Amino acid sequence: MKGITLGYFLRRLGIFFLTIWIAATLIYIIPRMAPGDPITAMVSRMSQQAGYIENSDKIIEGWKKRFGLDDPWYIQYGRYLRNLATLDFGPSIALFPTPVKEIVVRALPWTLGLLIVSITLFFFIGNFLGALLAWKKTPAFVRFIIPITMVFTSVPAILAGLILLYVFAFKFNIFPSIGSYGRGVQPGWDWGFVQSVLWHGMLPVISLVVVTFGYWALGMRGMMITVEGEDYMTLAQAKGLNPFYSLYRYMIRNAILPQITSLALTLGTSVGGAIIVEYLFAYRGMGTAIFTAIRNQDYPVIQGGTFLLVVTTALAVFILDMLYPLIDPRISHEGR
Amino acid sequence: MALTTVIFDIDGGNVTSPTNFNWMVPGTARNQGMHQAVWEPLFILNYETGKIMPYLGTEFTSNEALDVWTLKLRDGVKWSDGEAYNADDVVFTVQLLLNDETASLGEAANMQQWVSSVEKVDDLTVVFNLKAPNPRFQLDYWSVRIWGGAIILPEHVWAGQDPFTFTYYDPEKGWPLGTGAYKLTSASETRFTYERNDDWWGKDASIPELGIDGLPKPKYLVWEVTGSEENKVQLGSSGELDSIMDVTLGGFEAMVGNNPNIIGWVDGMPYVWFDPCPRQLSFNTAVAPWDDKNLRWAVAHIIDRQQIIDVAYEGTTIPSQTMFVEYGGLLDVISGITAAGMTLSTTADVEAGKALIEGAGWAMGTSGFYEKDGKTLAIEIQTHAAFIEKQRIAAVVVEQLRSAGIDASTRNVEGATWDDNKQNGNYSAVMDWDACGSINEPWNSMNRFTGQFAKPVGERVVGGNNHVRWTGADNDAYSAIIEKIGVLPLGDPQIVPMVVEAYKYLYDAMPFIPVTQARKLVPFDTTYWTGWPTQANNYNHPATWWMSTHQIIHNLEPAGN
Repeated sequence: MKGITLGYFLRRLGIFFLTIWIAATLIYIIPRMAPGDPITAMVSRMSQQAGYIENSDKIIEGWKKRFGLDDPWYIQYGRYLRNLATLDFGPSIALFPTPVKEIVVRALPWTLGLLIVSITLFFFIGNFLGALLAWKKTPAFVRFIIPITMVFTSVPAILAGLILLYVFAFKFNIFPSIGSYGRGVQPGWDWGFVQSVLWHGMLPVISLVVVTFGYWALGMRGMMITVEGEDYMTLAQAKGLNPFYSLYRYMIRNAILPQITSLALTLGTSVGGAIIVEYLFAYRGMGTAIFTAIRNQDYPVIQGGTFLLVVTTALAVFILDMLYPLIDPRISHEGR
Repeated sequence: MALTTVIFDIDGGNVTSPTNFNWMVPGTARNQGMHQAVWEPLFILNYETGKIMPYLGTEFTSNEALDVWTLKLRDGVKWSDGEAYNADDVVFTVQLLLNDETASLGEAANMQQWVSSVEKVDDLTVVFNLKAPNPRFQLDYWSVRIWGGAIILPEHVWAGQDPFTFTYYDPEKGWPLGTGAYKLTSASETRFTYERNDDWWGKDASIPELGIDGLPKPKYLVWEVTGSEENKVQLGSSGELDSIMDVTLGGFEAMVGNNPNIIGWVDGMPYVWFDPCPRQLSFNTAVAPWDDKNLRWAVAHIIDRQQIIDVAYEGTTIPSQTMFVEYGGLLDVISGITAAGMTLSTTADVEAGKALIEGAGWAMGTSGFYEKDGKTLAIEIQTHAAFIEKQRIAAVVVEQLRSAGIDASTRNVEGATWDDNKQNGNYSAVMDWDACGSINEPWNSMNRFTGQFAKPVGERVVGGNNHVRWTGADNDAYSAIIEKIGVLPLGDPQIVPMVVEAYKYLYDAMPFIPVTQARKLVPFDTTYWTGWPTQANNYNHPATWWMSTHQIIHNLEPAGN
């Protein structure tokens, strides 16, 4: 591929797998550092329903054995890595016998939908506004308004979500407060369901977009100012090119390249933000699934869900890295 | 739809595995309508009278030694696919639980603890041979004592299936089967719908004590996850929910303001029904300084339980007189204990508390807290993160203790950790409900504090039993009496005086302080349906998330609106 050597590709692939292995190991260790274990957590939940559970010691012992939780840690770890390699995460402990795969398959499309829409929006809105801020022909009132819209930039997504919830769900009752689609709506490819999904997705998406686009706008503004001082811009002006044409063709196209690099580097942060926002809005994606699993100490779901998010993010970064020479011909790994 | 349909809500979030109906696997939902409308129990305990009412079982009698129990089944009961429900199904289910070598299926450990063998005598008679006398065998496992119980499985479906992984769901085959008057028609994470089975076995039956008189009136039943209290209140206000699980007083009053047809258990304040698990402040009696009973008694004196009710409960419950829930079936026991003078004052006696602290060698320090040997008298009360009610109680208790000179604080802990800390003794004090168990007899709750369950700090106790780690000569004497009560038939006249005798040891040691009766405010909408259980119409309790809900459904009548 143009700009990519086999050596660079293999080195990058090695880093990709190393990242995955380190992440997988951390995902294995961290949940086990919390007090208790998934089986005692399960019995604890049962006792909340039934008052108390007789013979709970036998139940705990039996289920620990079934899930191999009574094996030494290295056997559990080896089994875990082997399962990851085959993408077989086994059954959930809290929702036994539901396979983790089923839980993930159910939740992942919601998270991907939320992420794709919000990333697209904050990337385009942020860069567009950043370009307007730097462009000399932008009307003064627009330059005045844009910074005000960035007031949420330094706020965490969960706080923005809480404010939006209070204002738009509780105070004015415009958007629904929780859920991914309406009460009583049957999932299916019909307009009623799609409309309900869009309506329920508004606040989560806005929460992610309002806290992020300012960052992109400021970055884009800085890049635009740098580009504006380049010789080719002076030439474009001297040639009397249409200002909109030179804005798009010369300024934005050149200024946006570092922004794409930045996007790749911040994908992980975006995923983290989405997970917290999902929990806040009881949105049925990976965030809610992982959060519920953490509360239940459901190791297989925590491991499977987080691992897939890590792989997805790492893969996106890897692909962007591979595609970069195509986007910006100045970047090449050939001859290194 | 509303005129033919009853809509119930489900608490606790989405049902994540909506098509798993294997009730024996822990964690599988069953109160999404299945055990309320489809899976019928053998017997139902009437909380108001303390009596056990027959349902699919007509009799469950023991021999004199209380170690052989004979179950008689109702004639004519059928599964929803038309197969007969009979002794084969009962024997198959119990045997399946006995065969579980891991003892980890629901009720398997309990069956294995008690049942040595189970035999079919004829199609309607089953004999259980127990390993030891148990006067509560029918009550504890087959009578919906609390929430649910063992559910009989259809042998013709379950035979040959893996009881751990079989999900018991195939709409084309009509699975999950049940004997109830309703069949499941749809299941999703947030909504379960049921349609009346007009060929139900009891369509011509009459069981007056359960309110069964042919088919129930509602044509459809819906169980729906409604989420936050705001949502419930909104739906209840607009008449979109007929039965709602627990809400706050504020939520209830907001609903009644918009929909005057909403009612509670009591007509007027406090509107509530008492949940069977009273709230208590438990000490870790194995850890200093709370291993000193005088200090535990000091806390008992300092706590103003009326203030807790006024502040934490907005006046919607009552202080506990004893460790027991105050149901009709326990009133004789409670009266016996209170008549012997063993009940705490509802108001504080701070001076008495301070005298006990000072008597134990503590002196008021400059910080405003008691000190001894350079140490401040401190107590940390751990609360369960999912239960705001207990957090509120703890917050009031902390203020009361601090103003009396005890450096009290609360720590809100995630449920699994809270439970783990409690079971392993990693706490000074917890706000819990671990005297829960007794409904119409005292042994169940009292047995939980016997010495057999005590473990050293760091070792896990079983099921929260005696997590306070109360041991010593007093506990030995207490445990000996409880052991004797354990083999007396229910209602034996010797029981009350023996309970009073045992309670003296418990009261004196004060390993936990009974604080309040747990309240549930369960709203019903009478716009479309009447016949809901209330204090005035107390055919049973109002918990519509329990297996006894069959009885409620059969008592419903259209309101005519």
